[in-house]
Amino acid sequence: MTANIETKDLTRTYETYMKAQGLLKSIEGLWARKTELKIAVHPTTLRIDKGQIVGLVGSNGAGKTTLLKLLSGLIHPSSGSAQVLGYEPTSRKPEFLKKISILLGQKNQLWWDLPPADSYDLLARIYEIDRTKARERVRELSELLQCTQQLQTQLRRLSLGERMKMEIIGSLLHQPEVLFLDEPTIGLDIIAQTTIREFLAKYVHERNPTVILTSHYMDDISLLADRLLLMSQGRIVYDGSVKEFTGRQEARQTLSLKILNPPAHNTNIANQFTLEAGALAVKQDLPAHAIGDVLQALMQVSPIQEIKIEEVEFEDVIRSFMEQDARLRTPGRSPTT
Amino acid sequence: MTMLQKTILKYLGLLASFFKASLMSELEYRFNIGARIVTDILWYTAQLSVFEVLFRHTTNLNGWNLPETRVFMGILFITDAIYMMLFSENLDRMGEKVRKGDLDLLLVKPINSQWMLSFQKISVAYIGNLIIAIGWLLYALSQIGEFQWVRLIWLLLTIPIGLSLIYSIRFMTSATALYFTRADAVTYIWYQVYRLGTRPHAIYPEVLRYAVLTLIPIAFLASVPAEILLDKSRPEILIWGLILSVLLIKASSLFWNRGLRSYSSASS
Amino acid sequence: MLGCARLAALQQLEYRFNLIADTMIQPFIVGLVEITLWVAFFASTGRAELVGFSRESYLAYALWAAFISRVSTSWMYESMMIEDVESGNVNAVLVRPISFFEYYLGQLMGYKVLTTAISLMAPIAICLFLDLPVDMTRLPVALALVFYYLILVHLISMVIASLGFFFTRIHHLTVAKNITLWMLTGEFFPLDIAPEPLKSILIALPFSSAVFRPVGYMTGRVSLASIGEGFVSITIGIVIVGVVATYLWNAGRKRYSGTGA
Repeated sequence: MTANIETKDLTRTYETYMKAQGLLKSIEGLWARKTELKIAVHPTTLRIDKGQIVGLVGSNGAGKTTLLKLLSGLIHPSSGSAQVLGYEPTSRKPEFLKKISILLGQKNQLWWDLPPADSYDLLARIYEIDRTKARERVRELSELLQCTQQLQTQLRRLSLGERMKMEIIGSLLHQPEVLFLDEPTIGLDIIAQTTIREFLAKYVHERNPTVILTSHYMDDISLLADRLLLMSQGRIVYDGSVKEFTGRQEARQTLSLKILNPPAHNTNIANQFTLEAGALAVKQDLPAHAIGDVLQALMQVSPIQEIKIEEVEFEDVIRSFMEQDARLRTPGRSPTT
Repeated sequence: MTMLQKTILKYLGLLASFFKASLMSELEYRFNIGARIVTDILWYTAQLSVFEVLFRHTTNLNGWNLPETRVFMGILFITDAIYMMLFSENLDRMGEKVRKGDLDLLLVKPINSQWMLSFQKISVAYIGNLIIAIGWLLYALSQIGEFQWVRLIWLLLTIPIGLSLIYSIRFMTSATALYFTRADAVTYIWYQVYRLGTRPHAIYPEVLRYAVLTLIPIAFLASVPAEILLDKSRPEILIWGLILSVLLIKASSLFWNRGLRSYSSASS
Repeated sequence: MLGCARLAALQQLEYRFNLIADTMIQPFIVGLVEITLWVAFFASTGRAELVGFSRESYLAYALWAAFISRVSTSWMYESMMIEDVESGNVNAVLVRPISFFEYYLGQLMGYKVLTTAISLMAPIAICLFLDLPVDMTRLPVALALVFYYLILVHLISMVIASLGFFFTRIHHLTVAKNITLWMLTGEFFPLDIAPEPLKSILIALPFSSAVFRPVGYMTGRVSLASIGEGFVSITIGIVIVGVVATYLWNAGRKRYSGTGA
């Protein structure tokens, strides 16, 4: 296997200015300021092979986005080095940039006042793709994402979920070999989340790009990724298969539902989930990975009126993981492997 | 085709696409277009009013009379309209883009980031201002007794020089956003420095007169072009203007790329 | 409202570079540019006076006009108000136990007190150094007029912000309005050198109290009576603009909640 992404002691620190409280301190701040060094990414050595789908997980501020930005050349490392597809990302060579793509959740690369179709024409020019080919590709992708209808509507009139779908099409237009997805499903409703998740699964299966995906949702990771990196406070604290992690972790979520047509008999919807006869409201703990299946099966039985899924706080997942890890760790074995 | 020709063609094509896209999105806000044109006409009036009032009390201001000053104003308005059309929207919003992290998605495009940042939004509405400005210049020139109209060709050289000088200075002031988190003030200072260019530099005291030709070459905005058009100054000065504009554009690109090294990107 | 004023001052201190540039460097350059114009004017005409006032009096006027006009113009808070209205953030302000008007007037005044204190050091120092004909004892009265005028400025901001309920992207109106005021205040030239009838109209309008009346008073162009007329003129302006602002604000609010946006 060839390595598509390699880093050696990649590090990034920020200098922040500490804000003092009160008017007097603020006036003092005019000439004397205290700064603080914050390490966003501790020295990280990493190797990701071609075609690998890596899930990058961690709480807010763990350093996930910083790592993605380092690898896509948006920010310069404070020390250490990175190689992506044989290029040094920060030199931002056009040949390199044509082969990668980064999708930042809730940020638009498409023109706000234009219909996505027009933005894609522009992107085709920027990436030097033949226009007819680009249009063909947009058609294909938009069908898969079920958003063909909205291609001619100004971006600002689209819903958050539709916008994200459009952004995804935009970032895949030039068929990147390496794809950085930063929170592609954040803030979206469950239907849009599922569509996007399934689309991505299909896409990576067919095209086989190298992907790093960050997400708050364990479901995204478990469905898509074959390798999991867990980040905490700027360090990678777990690197291994998703299965092994979820096996050890057994992440669970609470699913609360209100349905419109309760079944007449107790009905087994999917493994571990049963609808009782006549019950309008259901609340049950489920393994996180099963929720998608359950919802899909449930929609066949009855229209759903209300859905609430309570995530286990990610901090808790990590903490409990770290505790387990400390318990399981045999003496001499490094905690980061 | 050589690589260079290919690149030039690509960037020209992109410019056309940006123009088209900008026009389409601008048509969404018709009220906005009208407001901009009116605003600039007011600005033109404000600039003119000072001289119209002053020349009621004198016929000569350090070698400039009223008709000549009106010609100067005409060139100022034309250059300003072109600047506003091409760069104002792009460069004014640069700081905001850096702060909000919108720069990120631009930096990963396989295109020169400075170029794209400078040209991606073209304010087509300013064509209206440009027409008004040209009209004013022609009117002002017709008031000058023996003006040889062929001299207008000079503008094809002088206006691009002026534009590239103010572009590079303005770009650098906007790029300070990469170095400091909040640097709106640099923008305000720039607007004031720009005001130095809105008067014929002949009226300035000697030190300032040299400063606006060298240190802050804002005299090339309209003052030098007007002097050359009216045959008040020797064209050799344009060689200096040309050298200066190449140097400053180079400087702006160095400044930008150096800034990107320290760019930390908005969190998340 | 005092709390808002304090908050505004605190925020400004945060961005020290902005504060210094905004209050000192910027008006200094403006003053410099205007002064050079007057120097050139008197040099090339060879005259010693214009409409009865000396060369030095024009230099002093140009210098002080640059700084005083900085105090009597509102850019930042007006654009914040527009942004609040356009983005719907206005609701966040409306739930506070203080009106939108007071909330921003407090901030504007706080900011202006702070910037005035810092920025006036420069012209005072320059005038003492160059011995320009300025009567410093008249400064408090002149500033009182300017701060009274700020209430009118803020009301005009309210009118523009209210228009944000009806139109999108109205920040161009701010620019257009400020450029218009620029011509009416006397920042460019003392209004009394303009030809009649323009001169009488410009002076009678409340906007002359932004620059011409206060700076003219300090440099000996106008009398204390003119300051008094300024207060009257502003008061009339406040009543008229106040009615318009109240009407537009209420109509806009109604329209806004009507659409449920």
